Order: sequence, then C-alpha cells, then structure tokens
Amino acid sequence: MAQIQERGSTHVYKVNKISKEEVDGMVARCVYEDPPFCSAACPLKLDARAFLQAAAAGSFKKALQLYEKIAPFPLILSAGCEAPCEGKCRLGEIGEGLAIREVERAVARFGEQSRLGGIFRTKKRRTVAVLGSGLFALLLAGELEKKAYPVTVLCEEPDEDAYLRAAAPFLDEEAFRLELKRLRGKDIQFAFSCRPDAALLEQTRQNTDVLCASWELTQRLCPGAVSIPELVFCEEERIVSGPTAGVMEAAFAAKKAALTVDRLVQNLDPRNTRGQEGAVESRLYTDLSEAKERSRVPVGEGYTKEEAVREAGRCIQCHCEECLKSCAYLKHYKKHPGLLAKEIYNNTQIIMGDHQLNKPMNACSLCGQCTVVCPNGFDMARVCHLARQNMVSTDKMPLAPHEFALLDMLFSNNEAFLARPQPGFETCKYVFFPGCQAAAIAPETVKAAYLDLCARLPGGVALMLGCCGAICDWAGRYEMEEQTRDFLDRELSKLGDPIVIAGCPSCKKELESHEGLQIVGVWDLLLEIGLPEGARGLDRPAALHDACGARGDARTQDAIRELARRMGCALTETPFDRDRSPCCGYGGLSAYANREVAGEMTEKCLERSDAPYISYCMACRDRFARQGRESRHILELCYGTDAGSPPDISEKRANRLRLKNELLQQLWLEEPMEKKLTYELLWTDEARRMMDERMILTDDVIAVLEGFRENGEAIEDEDGLLVARRRVGNATFWVKFEPAGEGYRVHRAWSHRMRVEKREG
Amino acid sequence: MAIEKNYYTIDPQGKLKCFKCGVPLIKGKAKFMYLDNGFPVELPVCPVCGFVYVPEELALGKVASVERALEDK
Ligand code: SF4
Ligand code: SF4
Ligand SMILES: [Zn+2]
Repeated sequence: MAQIQERGSTHVYKVNKISKEEVDGMVARCVYEDPPFCSAACPLKLDARAFLQAAAAGSFKKALQLYEKIAPFPLILSAGCEAPCEGKCRLGEIGEGLAIREVERAVARFGEQSRLGGIFRTKKRRTVAVLGSGLFALLLAGELEKKAYPVTVLCEEPDEDAYLRAAAPFLDEEAFRLELKRLRGKDIQFAFSCRPDAALLEQTRQNTDVLCASWELTQRLCPGAVSIPELVFCEEERIVSGPTAGVMEAAFAAKKAALTVDRLVQNLDPRNTRGQEGAVESRLYTDLSEAKERSRVPVGEGYTKEEAVREAGRCIQCHCEECLKSCAYLKHYKKHPGLLAKEIYNNTQIIMGDHQLNKPMNACSLCGQCTVVCPNGFDMARVCHLARQNMVSTDKMPLAPHEFALLDMLFSNNEAFLARPQPGFETCKYVFFPGCQAAAIAPETVKAAYLDLCARLPGGVALMLGCCGAICDWAGRYEMEEQTRDFLDRELSKLGDPIVIAGCPSCKKELESHEGLQIVGVWDLLLEIGLPEGARGLDRPAALHDACGARGDARTQDAIRELARRMGCALTETPFDRDRSPCCGYGGLSAYANREVAGEMTEKCLERSDAPYISYCMACRDRFARQGRESRHILELCYGTDAGSPPDISEKRANRLRLKNELLQQLWLEEPMEKKLTYELLWTDEARRMMDERMILTDDVIAVLEGFRENGEAIEDEDGLLVARRRVGNATFWVKFEPAGEGYRVHRAWSHRMRVEKREG
Repeated sequence: MAIEKNYYTIDPQGKLKCFKCGVPLIKGKAKFMYLDNGFPVELPVCPVCGFVYVPEELALGKVASVERALEDK
C-alpha cells in the first residue's frame, strides 16, 4: 500500500522567505480598511460612519463624543465647517449626498455632554501657554486640553464671555450659551486682562515648556515671523502659531499645531512622524444597491432631533465586504481579508513556535471566487496556495490534514488506476479521463459515458481512470504534483498521446498545466456529436451550480447550460453563478482540513435555491447530496443513470476498484487481481458511522484483523470484546470486535498518529 | 527514588486481559512519540508480552489534542 513520509521532526528552524513585494502587493489590494469617502475628505478625520450610526440610533451622547474628538467646540465647528465630506458621499451618485453637517449641528445642539470632564484625567507634566485670543487660539487651547496638557491662556479679554465672543462672534445666542458653558467646564487656566507685550512673551516663555500664540499677536510681537504651514510653527521664534481664515482652516491648523506641541515637548523635530494629516484619497468600494432613501430630509431651520435621526439613518455605512458576502471561508474568519492574508504569509515565516494560522491557511478552498468578486482582484487562493507550498518546502507543513486525500490520490493512481486503449486499437485519437471522484461516486455513469464515446467517436477512445493531480497541488505538495504529471504523461504517451476528454472541470484545469496536451471537456464533445439516446433532464426546475474548476471558463459554463437546455431542463436563476460561483467545500481540500468551514461552504452554495441542484463536478454533486439535497451530475442526466445516495469513504474506494475490474473483465477480457477475504466481516451500524466520521477505511480495519489473525495479539475488555491494533502508514488503527460465525463483527474503530511503546523501568 | 513526570495515567484495575497471554493488564510504563517528541505515560500494559493499550477516549481526547498541537509547531 502506498505511503507518504511523515515529516521527521517539529524541530525545523528554517524558513523560506516570501518576497516582501508579494506580501505587500497582495495585502494592499484589499481596501477593507480604507476610510469611507466622507471621512477621507475630512481634514479633521471625523469617524463619520460611527458618528452617523450613533446618531441614527438616536444615541446623540455617543455621537457627540465622536464629534468632540475632532471638535473641542462642536457648535463652533459645525457652524462654520465647509463640509467637504458631503460632496464625497457616495449617495450623491444615486441621489443626494448625506447632510452630514446638519446632523453634526443637531448632535452638537441636542447631544448631552459627557460629565467626565478633564479634571479626572492625569495631566501631562509639560506645560503649554497660549497667548492671545481669536478662533485659532481658542481651538488650539481646546485641542491641548483634550490632550491633557496643563494649558494657560493669557489674553486681553476680561473674562471667558468676552474671550469666546472674540473667537466666535458668529454664534447665535443659544449656541453661544452652550459653548460658554463648555468652555467653563474645560480644564483651562486663564490669565485675563493681560497686556500682550514683549515682556509678557518672554516671561511666559520662561514659565512654560511650549509657547503658542494667535497669529495676530505673533506678528505684532515678532514682526517678520514666518510660519511653516504644515507645522503651524515659527521655527526661528519657537512659537506655535500661523495664519488661518475661516473655521475649517482654524480647526485644521489647531490640530496640526497641537501635534507640533507634542513633538516639541519631547524635544523632537516637529517634522517627524506626523502620519498622514488632512484629507486623503480613499479606494474603498461600496455596493450602492442597498441604499434606500435617496433624498435628503429637508433642512429648513436646522434639523430637529427626529429629522437628524432620519437623515443619519440614510447612511449606508460604506464598507467593502464583497468577498465576505460570497465566501463562507472569509466570513468564517470574519476579519479584514488583507490582514488575514498577511497573517497567513507571516505564519510561514515563524522559525520556532506555534503556527496558529495553519488552520485558516488550509481551510481556503483555493477556488478563486474572491478574486472575481473583489473590486481589486484580491487573490486569497494565491496567498494560501503559496503559503502551503512554502511550508511544504521547509518541511513545516503538517501532513495530518491532507494525508487522507493524498493517500486517496495514490490509491487512484495505483490500485485503482487503469489506462487502456479502446479494444481493437493500439493507440487512440482520444482518451476519456473522467476524474477520480466520478469513478468513486458514479461508476455506472462513467461506464456508460465511456461505452458511448467508444461507439460514437472515430479513431478509438482510450480510458484512463486515475487522479489528475489536483489533490497534491491543493495540498501544496509540488514535488508530488510533478511526479504525478510525469506519471500521467508517460501513460498518455503509451496510448499515443491522445486528445484528453476531461469529465471534470478541475481535472481539465489541472491537465492544462501539462505541456503539449490537447484537452476538451466531455460536455463540448457531447454538444458536438449530439446527446446520447435516453438523455433526459429533470422534470422540475433545477438550480445549476457552476464548478469552481470552471471559473473563468465561459465556454464550459455555456456548454453545460446548452446541454441542460437540450435535455429540457428548466434552470432557475441563482445569485453567484458562473465566475462568481462559490466552492462546494471540496476544493483546496477544505473538506479534509476543516470540516466545519467546508460545511459552511456547502451551505452557502445551497442557500441560493431550494430547487434540486445540477452540477458538473462530481465532488459538488456528492457534497450537495450529503447535505440531503437532490443533486445530480449533468452526465447522470445525459446517460440516464442515477448514482443514488452518496457513498461513504470506503465505498468510494470500492467503487473505483469495482469499476476498474468490471471494465477489465468485460472490455479487455483480463482477469483482475482481486483480493478475496477468506472470512466474513460484519459491521454494526455504529462502526460504519464512526469509521466514516473518523476517516477509517474498511481496508484499515481489515489490515488490523489480518494482523490479529497472524499474531493473535489483542486485549479482551470487560464485555468480552476484543481490541486489536496495527500500525498502517503513519497511524495506528484500533478495532473492537468479536468473533462471529466464520469471521468477525466489528463494533468500534479509532486511530491515532502518535506511536506508542512500552518503556523500561 | 526519582519522581518521574507522567503526562497521563490509566489504571486498568484488573478489568482488561491480554488475549494472547491470558493475564490481566497492569498499569505500566509507556511512551508516546510523535514528530520527534516523546511523552512518558502510564497505560494498561500486558506484563508478559508488553502489549500497550490505548483506549478510545484517550486516542480521541488527549492524544488527538497533543497531536494537533505538535503538528502546528
Ligand atoms: S472584496 Fe474583500 S478582499 Fe476585496 S477589497 Fe473588499 S474586503 Fe478586501
Ligand atoms: S475559499 Fe475561495 S473565495 Fe474564499 S478565500 Fe479561498 S479562494 Fe477566495
Ligand atoms: Zn500479553
């Protein structure tokens, strides 16, 4: 029996590098974390999405907290802001952009201020003084207070009232009253009625760590001072100050100035590490189809609370989740896909320790759907495939998740492999390659198709039963893939290098990687030579599920539809069809590596329709049927066969062997080498169920019992049942059984991969 | 006497018998090995032929979880 070498040790301390450009390039494709267009346009970076969400929920207090992050004086900012966000709102493309500023005004007016004022916060040690009055000075003092600096304002005005009026004469009475209250609540020290002269300037400079001033005062006291606009800083005079015009500009300048103060107190160059300031471009993608209200709530005299709630409710919360909507795998891990990709890349670069991302790396079905639905062509399949190959290359890849599938492939290409020219031919024009799953799941259909092709195609049709190698490709085992390719090429050349008639889109795709191979889909040929007699569609409307192996292959997708039409199938429309079709959960070996996620993938496929499913990949057919859905492969309909209820893992092997042996006998008149058991084997239902669940084959159980028959080693438990064991490949299998008649009745079976042995002492 | 750390202990308490040797299994010293890592344990062992028994619960529980953890190293 075929075996695969388990990796020798967990103590492998090397990695093979993945190029940084590869990683960065892929991660950057995902715009999940790009800001929404409104926030991107806001130089102050309001988290507009969260703000509007809170407002829409009627939670004005929370909305106000978010707004206060950018506006120490919300009524001042909302009164004078030019609202660049509104012009960028995506709703503007299908109706009217959201009236964000009006909502801000309402929130500023009606929102309850949170009581936890500045006094409860730990203050910073370094002190800052702000000289003079006006809008910039006021807003800067507010920003600094927010950052918990001990701030002192020195001004000519006699009190707060006058100070605020000098800064914001445009406020109406109510707004003024509210902002005055807010100003008084802030932890700002005032020195009123100061005479702003050079002496005050020098004295303040002595007493504080950083000196700020209104631009008017700076110019008066330091004529010729030059302010650097990005820093709002007069470097020579070491005064944080600069000219501004309008509320928006003053607010932005105050923000930049506060950052300059941060750098100065740390004795750093204020030019460094400032991050991205001001408005930015966003690449976010938004699906506008879900927008409901297209027109603004009329503004009139300013929104009432209710009107603001309604207008905020129009926000569609721009988010790119295109791939999460369609891919059950990405949805399962529910995080920023670009970040997930980065983590999976990083996982391959761990020299020592746990590879926590192995599971997600192996759960992706490599189906390529994300690349089609993502507006930027994000390609998770590539990420996971490269990562798997990388782990294989350093011998860090666990074998366990994929071993069953790999052994199954070896079985297909050894015991169950068959390559013969059509009887009466030495070499053939064609070779039918139905694929390993077709032989495993629908052997009768394969036989019928082969006989039909032999009868109707000129030049001879050879048969090749085996696996195309997709399985080792999916597992990242590139050396095995290479070997499989060579093996198949050799066998094909023995048959006279015929044109391959692929019965499975994944085989077709895999075989296309062979050099100089001519391949057609069996569906294309059937269209050409006409349907066989007896071909009949379902008599009820059915949903067509496109195979992920046929993604990007419109010709195949069309051919299947045409076949279905000719058979009289009524196909219902399903969302996510053709190139956007999800994977059934078999692809990429998801079903072996992560049953849970694979199950969610199957569900995702089935949720599209209640109708019976027609597919053209046998694995899809099988997984849908296992889920209890009426499920047929297009070839079953073409040949009037019905593969019936899905086989378990052992039956899948038995089917392949039986098909091979039957054909050898009937067509090639060869006597197959069949192993016949010399004793009877009975099973309890529970034993069969648990074997399928635990991926234990009938052959594994037989191996254990053969061993027992040779050496008599077993233990007897309390109930008088026997338990024998045997190491087969990389696992030890245990079988609980009892002698019954001429043989045995199997009760239970389990396995583990660890070796166990007696220890002396 | 040196105290040895055992990762797992099962005492058969006379309930299991070696089919070949016809004697009860006893609690004996054994070792699990996987991917170059070893764990001393105490399991039901035949005192005559040395058959080491791994019960179903152990295989599917502790053993499986240690396997998973080691595989991701
Ligand atoms: S579709 Fe997915 S991967 Fe593409 S940008 Fe959107 S969130 Fe990122
Ligand atoms: S399962 Fe398919 S759609 Fe989902 S991430 Fe993997 S390749 Fe993309
Ligand atoms: Zn014994």
